[in-house]
Amino acid sequence: MATFLQQVINGLSIGSVYALMAVGYSLVYSIMNFSNFAHGGVIMIGAYLGFFAMTLIELPFIIAFALAAVGAAMVAVVLERVAYRPLRNRNAPFLYFIISAMGASIFLENIVIATIGPNFRTYPRVFSATPYTIGSISIGRLDLTMFWVSAFSLAVLIFIIEKTKTGMAIRATAYSGRASVLMGVNTDRIIFIVFGLGGLLAGIAGVLFGMKYTVYPQIGFITMKSFIAAVFGGLGSLPGAVIGSVLLGTIETLTAGYISSQYRDLISFVLLILILIFRPRGLMGKVTEDKA
Amino acid sequence: MDWFYVKGILILSGINLLAVLGLSLLTGFTGLFSFGHAGFMAIGAYVTASMSIKFGLPFIPSLMIGAMGAALVSLFIGRWTLNLKGDYFCIATLGFGEAIRLILDNVQYFGGARGWPGIPLYTNLTNVLILNIIGVVILVNLIRSRHGRNMKAIREEELASQIIGINVFKYKMTSLAISAAYAGVAGGLLAHYTGFIQPKMFQLIKSTELTIIVIFGGLGSISGSIIGAIVLTSLPEILRAFAKWRLVIYGMAVIFIMITRPQGLMGGYEITYGNIKKLVSRIFSIFNTKKTLGGDKQ
Amino acid sequence: MRKNIFVLALIALLVLGLILTGCTTNSTDTSSEENEAEGSDTIKIGWIGSLTGDQAVWGTCELNTVKMLIEEVNEKGGWLGKQVEVIGYDTRGDAMEAVNAVRRLTSQDKVVAIVGPNASGQAIAISSVLEEMKVSNIATVATNPKVTIDEKGNTKPFNFRVCFIDPYQGAVAAGYAYDVLGFEKAAVLYDVADDYSQGLTEFFEKYFIEKGGEIVAKEGFKFGDVDFRPQLSKIKEANPEVVFMPYFFKEVALSANQARELGIDAVLMGGDGWPSDILLEMAADAVEGSYFVNHLDFDDPEVQDFKATYTAKYNLPVELNGYLAYDAIKLLEKAILNAGSSDSVAIRDALETAKVQGITGQINISKETHNPEGKEAAIIKIIDGKYVFQQKYSAK
Repeated sequence: MATFLQQVINGLSIGSVYALMAVGYSLVYSIMNFSNFAHGGVIMIGAYLGFFAMTLIELPFIIAFALAAVGAAMVAVVLERVAYRPLRNRNAPFLYFIISAMGASIFLENIVIATIGPNFRTYPRVFSATPYTIGSISIGRLDLTMFWVSAFSLAVLIFIIEKTKTGMAIRATAYSGRASVLMGVNTDRIIFIVFGLGGLLAGIAGVLFGMKYTVYPQIGFITMKSFIAAVFGGLGSLPGAVIGSVLLGTIETLTAGYISSQYRDLISFVLLILILIFRPRGLMGKVTEDKA
Repeated sequence: MDWFYVKGILILSGINLLAVLGLSLLTGFTGLFSFGHAGFMAIGAYVTASMSIKFGLPFIPSLMIGAMGAALVSLFIGRWTLNLKGDYFCIATLGFGEAIRLILDNVQYFGGARGWPGIPLYTNLTNVLILNIIGVVILVNLIRSRHGRNMKAIREEELASQIIGINVFKYKMTSLAISAAYAGVAGGLLAHYTGFIQPKMFQLIKSTELTIIVIFGGLGSISGSIIGAIVLTSLPEILRAFAKWRLVIYGMAVIFIMITRPQGLMGGYEITYGNIKKLVSRIFSIFNTKKTLGGDKQ
Repeated sequence: MRKNIFVLALIALLVLGLILTGCTTNSTDTSSEENEAEGSDTIKIGWIGSLTGDQAVWGTCELNTVKMLIEEVNEKGGWLGKQVEVIGYDTRGDAMEAVNAVRRLTSQDKVVAIVGPNASGQAIAISSVLEEMKVSNIATVATNPKVTIDEKGNTKPFNFRVCFIDPYQGAVAAGYAYDVLGFEKAAVLYDVADDYSQGLTEFFEKYFIEKGGEIVAKEGFKFGDVDFRPQLSKIKEANPEVVFMPYFFKEVALSANQARELGIDAVLMGGDGWPSDILLEMAADAVEGSYFVNHLDFDDPEVQDFKATYTAKYNLPVELNGYLAYDAIKLLEKAILNAGSSDSVAIRDALETAKVQGITGQINISKETHNPEGKEAAIIKIIDGKYVFQQKYSAK
């Protein structure tokens, strides 16, 4: 029983990591209808920014954290300008966006390898390594922090989207881009904001990752999992992304713990397919026009 | 450039081209986007290698069985995933590719993650070229047939093609199976070229590269895919001297192509006798008009 | 329509013809160029490995080491009175790229020998090209036995290496854990997608069980994973005395930290993927008291010298690959000097019997296996956040 509880807690903490990234994906998907594969690259940049802010300039943790988030947001916005806007202006199909995003992710990873170097870098320790323990169950301090930070930033994001006027415009654009333009929504501005928000989340995720897992050019690869999580939950839906992430984290953990750790990814994949067969748009995905 | 080295690049271009031709049918002519073709290549490679090593079959029959193996698996996968839309199909194929790799990593019969050495070296430039020519001829015939037109109709307007009575699912399946078979042959050739296969060789990045080639060449153009395969296989080799900057340039080039020429190199056109004639006559007509203009001035 | 297909096929045939004629003209060029290379006053050596991709850390360190050593060689007048030039190519960790790079090195750049790559997969894939072009390769950390021995058990004529192989390292780890430390219950956590990790796991398991030990848990993860708690929770339940972690230091640091977080207090053990400054930076507390199998003793004065020069030059820590690249160059130097010629076949023949004192120990290449024979492993224990040499240990 204790092991089972421990596994559930492990799953939740992995899930909250996936959620931070999956929400960034889903946000962009809801507006642009394509999977932004360069999101992992932005997370990596955020992790490096936070690292250098803390080691080279020796800024305090909170300021470095904010700096990394803002920096990552800027990278995301610039990326949108350079790699996606020209495509959007041409109404190119989603395929081109994905390829462009992949090019961007190859570029980001390798520019870091070429300039900063491929070496692993470790964040200065901010949180103590001794975990909280309840009986025989233990929870890492950093995990708990990650959980709270994820929950808090997601809450803020959902507040912005649900309660502000900009949020309403984002929702309108997600619902129907063309109609919202007619209603006077400036699509370019909305996309700018969406990429900015996605970038902020990526920066936050990057710093948290860097602290937990060190910083290296391929750190963005973990986003593959969060992409799957976003599909689980239904692309384009923020609550879906969160639920999908937590579910995927728990399923993976329990599979590894009780079925087979060697075939864990295979089993999660089969589950993914099963979900898609019975609910093709994921758990809470937005209904897209039936036009392939 | 030394011939031994150029030959290596050409063989690899040819192997990539076969996989790209299949993917071109799926993505360029049927409008489905796959991130799992490295998985089909892996199946082709492992099946072909087992046929020629464990059962001692000659090269061509082994390749054919490898292609059939990949096609069969694709039918199974397609049965469940082809109804999914856009990104969902994409993620399903991506997951499939990774799952295949995971299985191969764990199957010790094929050497697991440590790979499978000692595969006889049958692949050479001649058989790669011949297989490519056969592959192109089959594909051109298919695309120009009624079936090819139906596939293109699905790419353009799925709903409308369903309404006019095209069995959308069946054509998607056919397209997927044929493209998987092409990838399977490519995988088999690869196995017999390096003499060694390892699940690591069939990573997601391999699928991505294939898709990039198809888009670079131009969706819906076979000549584009051919040029794309040769150019994009040689590009990293030409850039080899740049060492670690190589992939930075590659990444930039991909974005640059997408934003400046999203229709790809050929943009849906083909290099055919007719088109060349048209092009030549157009150039000549420009030449002629210039001449007459010049005549006016006099 | 039919005409068009005919034309297409015709074009393809034309291309084929062109290429084939190109073949004949070019091959005569090659031979004349080869003659030129013989008489030139530089010796070219090649290096391949990962400068990009997920193994870039190790590859970059190798190439840096090779370049640094060759600079030193050139300052002292080169080999056989000739200056030495290094040509290094990136393989992204991909076997196909390695084949291309070796094709280019052997034919266009005309190197006399190749050092690297840093993974077994690439080293195995390139052997057919090496044999065709008659150029030897000295692998740095390719530990799979199949690198130098083919499927039929014959030695591959042009493949050599300076590191010890997986079965040996697995046997050392199992022997030390069972015989010296007296552990009987071991758990293994390994990377299912990594050849090195799978190799070590297989042989550790084999020898540990042979000795009478018991593997109480065997859990896998996949490269790229950063969370190991599900597997570790399971390992904790099995209550082993020692946890064998045969993978690279980044994952070791993460999994060791997570193991301690979950309250696993078993001794951790690993292989030559462990040693790195990063491991101590990230997880000094978690790996305190752990053991690992290594190629060398870090406190050796010669090692210290090399480490100091490298760090001064590149401002980077030396990874394990650097030491092995160092020895590969030393071995190559010896072979070229013994052969008294920069002819690639003569170098190969000299390599077969080469003996050299490297920084990872005495390297005596065996003619039968092309492996360094009798190389003793060093057991290192982590005490007070430092790598402390315990003893030389060789498994029988």
